[in-house]
Amino acid sequence: MAVCIAVIAKENYPLYIRSVPIQNELKFHYTVHTSLDVVEEKISAVGKAMADQRELYLGLLYPTEDYKVYGYVTNSKVKFVIVVDSSNTSLRDNEIRSMFRKLHNSFTDVMCNPFYNPGDTIQSKAFDSMVTAMMVQAS
Amino acid sequence: MSIPDYMQCAEDHQTVLVVVQPVGIVPEDEFFRIYKRIASVAQVSIRDSQRNLYIRYRHHYLPENNEWGDFQTHRKVVGLISVTTCGSAKEWPQTSDRFHSQKDVFGATLYDSRLLVFGLQGEIAEQQRTDVAFYSSYDVCPDVEKRVEDFVESIFIVLESKRLDRATDKSGDKIPLLCVPFEKKDFVGLDTDSRHYKKRCQGRMRKHVGDLCLQAGMLQDALVHYHMAVELLRSVNDFLWLGAALEGLCSASVIFHYPGGTAGKAAGRKPSLAQGQGQAADAGKRHRPGALTANGISADTSSEIGRAKNCLRPEDIIEKYKEAISYYGKYKNAGVIELEACVKAVRVLAIQKRAMEASEFLQNAVYINLGQLSEEEKIQRYSILSELYDLIGFHRKSAFFKRVAAMQCVAPTIPEPGWRACYKLLLETLPGYSLCLDPKDFSKGTHRGWAAVQVRLLHELVYASRRMGNPGLSVRHLSFLLQTMLDLLSDQEKKEVTQSLENYTSKCPGGMEVITLPDGLKLPPVPLSKLPIVRSVKLLDLPVSLRPHKQKGLLENNMSTKSPFIYSPIIMHTRGEERNKKIEFRWVQGDVCEVQLMVYNPMPFELRVEHMGLLTSGVEFESLPAGLSLPAESGLYPVTLVGVPRTAGNINVNGYHTSVFGVTSDCLLEGLPSVRTSGCMVEVIPSLPRLQLSTSLPRSAHPLQHSKEELSSSVSVQLFNGETQQLTITLENIGSEDLETLEVTSKTCNTKEKLFGEFLSWDLEEAVSQLPLKPGQSVTLTVNIKVRLDFSGGENLLQDLNDDGISVTGLPSSSPLRQVLKPRAETKPLGSESSKTDYNHVKTLEAVMTFKYSGGAGKVEGYYRDLTLGVHVDVEPSVFFTRVSTLPATRTRQCHLLLDVFNSTEHELTVSANNNQDLVLHASECQRMAIQVAKFDFDTLPQPDQEAVRYTNPKLLEEERLHTQASMINSTLGITWNIPSVRRQGEASVEGVLNQLVLEHLQLAPLQWDVVVNGKPCDCDIIADCKVGDAVPLEVKLTNRSKNAVGPFALTVVPFQDYQNGVKNYDLQDAVTFIGSNTFNIDTVNPTEDSVCMGALLFLYTGDFYLNIKFQDDNAGQGNEVPPSWFGLPSIHIKALEAPIEAGA
Repeated sequence: MAVCIAVIAKENYPLYIRSVPIQNELKFHYTVHTSLDVVEEKISAVGKAMADQRELYLGLLYPTEDYKVYGYVTNSKVKFVIVVDSSNTSLRDNEIRSMFRKLHNSFTDVMCNPFYNPGDTIQSKAFDSMVTAMMVQAS
Repeated sequence: MSIPDYMQCAEDHQTVLVVVQPVGIVPEDEFFRIYKRIASVAQVSIRDSQRNLYIRYRHHYLPENNEWGDFQTHRKVVGLISVTTCGSAKEWPQTSDRFHSQKDVFGATLYDSRLLVFGLQGEIAEQQRTDVAFYSSYDVCPDVEKRVEDFVESIFIVLESKRLDRATDKSGDKIPLLCVPFEKKDFVGLDTDSRHYKKRCQGRMRKHVGDLCLQAGMLQDALVHYHMAVELLRSVNDFLWLGAALEGLCSASVIFHYPGGTAGKAAGRKPSLAQGQGQAADAGKRHRPGALTANGISADTSSEIGRAKNCLRPEDIIEKYKEAISYYGKYKNAGVIELEACVKAVRVLAIQKRAMEASEFLQNAVYINLGQLSEEEKIQRYSILSELYDLIGFHRKSAFFKRVAAMQCVAPTIPEPGWRACYKLLLETLPGYSLCLDPKDFSKGTHRGWAAVQVRLLHELVYASRRMGNPGLSVRHLSFLLQTMLDLLSDQEKKEVTQSLENYTSKCPGGMEVITLPDGLKLPPVPLSKLPIVRSVKLLDLPVSLRPHKQKGLLENNMSTKSPFIYSPIIMHTRGEERNKKIEFRWVQGDVCEVQLMVYNPMPFELRVEHMGLLTSGVEFESLPAGLSLPAESGLYPVTLVGVPRTAGNINVNGYHTSVFGVTSDCLLEGLPSVRTSGCMVEVIPSLPRLQLSTSLPRSAHPLQHSKEELSSSVSVQLFNGETQQLTITLENIGSEDLETLEVTSKTCNTKEKLFGEFLSWDLEEAVSQLPLKPGQSVTLTVNIKVRLDFSGGENLLQDLNDDGISVTGLPSSSPLRQVLKPRAETKPLGSESSKTDYNHVKTLEAVMTFKYSGGAGKVEGYYRDLTLGVHVDVEPSVFFTRVSTLPATRTRQCHLLLDVFNSTEHELTVSANNNQDLVLHASECQRMAIQVAKFDFDTLPQPDQEAVRYTNPKLLEEERLHTQASMINSTLGITWNIPSVRRQGEASVEGVLNQLVLEHLQLAPLQWDVVVNGKPCDCDIIADCKVGDAVPLEVKLTNRSKNAVGPFALTVVPFQDYQNGVKNYDLQDAVTFIGSNTFNIDTVNPTEDSVCMGALLFLYTGDFYLNIKFQDDNAGQGNEVPPSWFGLPSIHIKALEAPIEAGA
């Protein structure tokens, strides 16, 4: 499954970022950070046409040697980025979509928390455990 | 071909390559000067045809790359311009040889060459040669450009001839196979006669001709040739050349659509056309004379349409590029071509604003393996990737590659790491990581960004700048890191960062100056406002004793100048200016002023802040910096910063100055919105003198109970009631100004106690006479503290005032005092504190003395200072009078005052009064004391001022009157007490116990009666002598001193004899005879007048007789009754003696 999951605010700073190999976290920071270029490009390309009926799922943002980066943008311009291992060929597009949907639902729950300040980093335990469940399990 | 030219772009396909090189020794700067002049001839319009020739100049070109010239003709070096210096004719042959050997390097492909010789003069220089130009010096070469143009034209001629040669070469002649270097061996032994081979040759040649056409400015022809080449090559699966043909097609189309160029920076090449891509495209279609009139074909519309067909549509260009690249990709050795094609495609896409596709091309380019790249090439490659990403708007990606390039500069494999380059590249990545090195951008709220990445980048900057040998930069970046990312650093990181910061600052202390980098980037200073974090700034008032006050009158004047209104509901200042709000209090020039900061240390270790001082403006201010040490993660910690204003005016506290870890920072409050402050502007008034007060009495620790105001100092003393204590006050001028005025006032604090007499009294004359007081001098003032309080238990003790009981051995059982006395003895050692809540037998008296002084420049401005001294006196009861009564004395003008004196001390004391015996009282003993006093004539007391009478309350007036009377009585009595055992003495006052009745008794009656017997004034204790048988004249005189007329009265004289055993004999008709009536009538006596009535008596026997003059009021019914006490007529004692014998005879 995913090796890195990130939530990025409308203003393009991370609200949440978590990756599985802890020792090389910075690499994923770079990966996600640079993927934003593509996300922005994709949003602006679609945005002109039909902003309302836009598909939230952006699909594969870009592949690198080891990873594939997928993106998803909510209507409030909050971005979700999921990085999966390139070697994991069993993963279908639909599964990625469902992961994003789960992520989105969980994020909505976080936003519904009256004690959460929009714009702050996400510290919700529920969100964290959901992300953990989506991350690669030991394999 | 191994080194890609990353700067390539599609329109380079239409250029011809000319190499400009120095020969021999040519100074570099001179060479580049000439090179620039040559390079300025980038586009030449060819005479007689409306075509343009574009030239690409290189001063360095690998002959290896030249070998690919057949593949893409723009890679072929067709011209060579050599620049050389030749000092003398001798050198000339050598120079010439060199030039020729250089020509040989590119010999195979050169169309033409030129040699520019500088410095040679004379014979050789005279000769006219087309391939050599002579100039005397680098400065005198006006026709270089002209020469280059000629040269270009000659190239054009060759090019044109080649083109025509190849284009028309369609006959059955054998077409040579053009091939790239690595292909050569593949074709060995191939059947040259096969159809397949021929087609291949044809296709390749077509492609080559297309290239030539493109270079020669015949765009449309080129397109046609390319199309044909594509067809031919596709059929024979010659992928490499098919790719090239497709790329050529793309290039030609790009040139057609985007005459402005795709290189971005190089757009200056055709400045007149390069305004906006859309416009330029249109303009190009219309104004490309070279294209339209190529081969002299007239520009009719049909041909236009035909050409437009040949040209690719913009959206197709990319498809073709993709195809071409995919074909290139099949050949390992064509990596460079593929890479360059990618770069070109990206540039085109950038113009088309198709970033996504561009990114795909770039992504592909990243993976193109060019075999072993040198480090330098890697750097170049990453830089160009970064640049291209930037071009398509992928700034983050761009930053990423730039950073990779930077890291590559200092890769461990490089023997001489380029830290400078690394640093420069790193700086360029900052915008990509949305990091600005100005700390002001971070002052708003919490940090939001890619912290992990940014922190990493900053660390890298620090490291690079350190390795560059610029610790100043390291310090600046580290400070920035600390200041902006503090919340994001772990405790461990904080420690490390601060440690390295300290290391760097030991070499180069950090300051507040702007660091300007060589490339012009300015690094603004980073004030470490988070080390420590300041929460609030509060300007403190001066201590009470030093606060200046403005003279009332002057203050009002000032107010009136501000506004004509006494009160206005309109607030002049807006709320936003709260920081600039002026504070109510004032500071004084030359006096130490304090500002309190609440700070805390966010670091997990002790923070040492040095040289913490204030930053001010408006007034010359001498800041006295302080050093402080804050414990790890301290809570709010108050810090007081001090300084001395040296001039007067309005001072504004702008911020503070710190030095932490060797970095000095000026933190301005305006940049710190989280700092709370109640205003930072305060007025500094001119200097005033300063007085220090010391007293002879010990200072008291606790402040006065009843006084709310702050006191500079206070003294306390314990006194017995009635005691007097002297207090010596020394005032020393410890300031720098002369003391010019001094006023002393005192105020007794609001107590319920009734106080008699003056509590504090002093004489200021002597002190004032010593003014002005120079600094360092002192003056003394003696103040008498006198306590006279009423300790009697109140009205209860006096209720039976007129009860003329003979002996009072103790206190009446109802007296509260009696109940108090017992507990008092028990609580004695605890003194006043313990009995506060109880009925307090120790009374407290407090007063505040105010010393108002001024001098120096501040006095001129109307300011003064106050020094206050609180005087606290615990008054213990000494003696007091439990009861007062009067007894008539034997004389009508006198009376006895009976005082029950109670000694409430635990000492034996003696009470003495004027003209009286001492009375010894043991502790808690009560004794009666009788004092004979003359009655008082209160009328002689000064009357209160009429003016005052009118305005004051009658009740107050009455009190005043009583008070003056009582004090008169008191002073007449002069009762003092003395405790020999503790050597204390004082006065005892009767004021409190006197009441109206007693006063009336003590007062002289307004009607004054004088009885004169036998010519002698007579009173009770005077025995008048007379002789039996003689008429004794009796005269009664009434003086009216009351305010009303009195009378008429009738007085009856009744004689009697007192047997001294209680029997009085009134039956004396036989013994005493009245001569005339025994009744006297006195008419009405007006005020201040007197009236006398006379009578006479005749005593018939010897003996002691008394005359009782009785009063009969005739006006009883008329209402103006006169109090009976006014009729104080003495009884008269007359002794009738035996007449002499001879008289009887």
